[in-house]
Amino acid sequence: MPGGEAHAAPLLEKQFEDFRAQLEESGTLRERIRAVVMEIESTTRLIHSSLLLVHQSRSTPEVLEKPLAQIGVLKDLYNRLAKIVLESPGRYYRYHGDWKTETQTVVSLLAFVHWLETGALLLHTEAEEKLGLNDSEFRLDVEDYLVGICFMSKELPRYVVNQVTAGDYDCPRKVLKFLTDLHAGFRMLNLRNDFLRKTFDGMKYDLRRVEEVYYDVKIRGLTANGDPVVDQGAPAQS
Amino acid sequence: MLKLQRLSLRMMALKPQRLHNIAETTSQSVAKRVRTMTTESSMKDAFAKYTDYLNHLNEKRERVVKASRDITINSKKVIFQVHRISKHNKEEVLQKAEKDLADVTDRYISRLVKELQGTDFWKLRRAYSPGVQEYVEAATFCKFCRTGTLLNLDEMNATLLPLSDPSLEPLQINVLDYLLGLADLTGELMRLAIGRISDGELDFAKKICEFVREIYRELTLVVPFMDDSHDMKTKMDTMLQSVMKIENACFGVHVRGSEYMPLLGSDDPTSFLSGVPDVEI
Repeated sequence: MPGGEAHAAPLLEKQFEDFRAQLEESGTLRERIRAVVMEIESTTRLIHSSLLLVHQSRSTPEVLEKPLAQIGVLKDLYNRLAKIVLESPGRYYRYHGDWKTETQTVVSLLAFVHWLETGALLLHTEAEEKLGLNDSEFRLDVEDYLVGICFMSKELPRYVVNQVTAGDYDCPRKVLKFLTDLHAGFRMLNLRNDFLRKTFDGMKYDLRRVEEVYYDVKIRGLTANGDPVVDQGAPAQS
Repeated sequence: MLKLQRLSLRMMALKPQRLHNIAETTSQSVAKRVRTMTTESSMKDAFAKYTDYLNHLNEKRERVVKASRDITINSKKVIFQVHRISKHNKEEVLQKAEKDLADVTDRYISRLVKELQGTDFWKLRRAYSPGVQEYVEAATFCKFCRTGTLLNLDEMNATLLPLSDPSLEPLQINVLDYLLGLADLTGELMRLAIGRISDGELDFAKKICEFVREIYRELTLVVPFMDDSHDMKTKMDTMLQSVMKIENACFGVHVRGSEYMPLLGSDDPTSFLSGVPDVEI
């Protein structure tokens, strides 16, 4: 053993001091991130509660008014978040956990709004566009996007039930078609045994519920006749 | 939407003879069909892209996990090699250990370096972290036995620089993995200390004891700031156990060893065994 402890100990101490400084710095950064994420979360809550009116047979444009305005707020918040995270490069995924869940919810709401508006699926690139992230190095993680889409499908059975009650008998057919396509899309993915897979596994129950509603409506002759899509989207396979 | 609702309401009212308005419904449904067809194909294209992305990511993750596992296995071998140390073969044992460690760096860490670029370092951290921690453990263990000092993170990262192409981003071990590896190091040092005591190398054991205490003390200040400190907290508990085991062993020798040594009056290492209390390893 060489007797170099005399200067080795301060060196050891110095390294740990550096670590502490580094870790403290990243701690402050996380606090800044969390502050923005909390704002994102409260905005999503606002959007969500306004969207719930869709189940109370209000007209869609009326329901969408507030959420569409709030999406602009979300965009600003994501810009702020991106700025903070991009202050130094390559660390998106170091702090990813801090905005992951909230972003999944954001995607689910954006996708639901988009679907109510257009009847189509909000694509990953479109979601990024809505959040103003398409030119940024701060991207929307694809897995977060996919999880968000799975979350959105949970809203659909309830929507269908309430639309039918309100007298829209064509709604189940549309939703069923959409959800069938979406489910087929997800089945193309090779998933690992992770959260996304678990979330996707829940989608088949949404699909089944919508099929049931569609069946109920159809067997009672409530659907509009002569629509060709009906025959293709028959609820036989599940 | 409003119109549709109104229409369906009217249809409900006129349910028995609701075959009117056919013209309107069909024209609507044609427009709808066109739209669903385009969205369908763009959805398919989009999902094809997601599929590629996920396949690529999962394959890479799989390769990283494999590299990490190889690093773990071979770093463990280095650690076992260091444990073969005894009073008389120090140089020989350490040389072999250092050679094996260099081998791990060249053969397995380099594989990791090739996979990881840019955001991967943090995205795939969970996939490679165990291997890197074990590697930190092996490298710091070797270094301590050689010089009695702690191998710094900067020094370690400097040895990794030549592995990668200068045009690529080099693999740099992050503070968190380094600290987690260091926490495991104390377990190995405890085993080493007990072994050295039974071999009669008391000074070496005392040196280990001081070193481990120092690391434990420093870590207590750093752990609260670590990202996922839960893992680290359990490691800290284990570490304290290790520190205490070494201290108790040193205490045993100190108290009883001083009685036995002059009595037996030889430097036969086995004589210490009688003086050392049973220590669980």
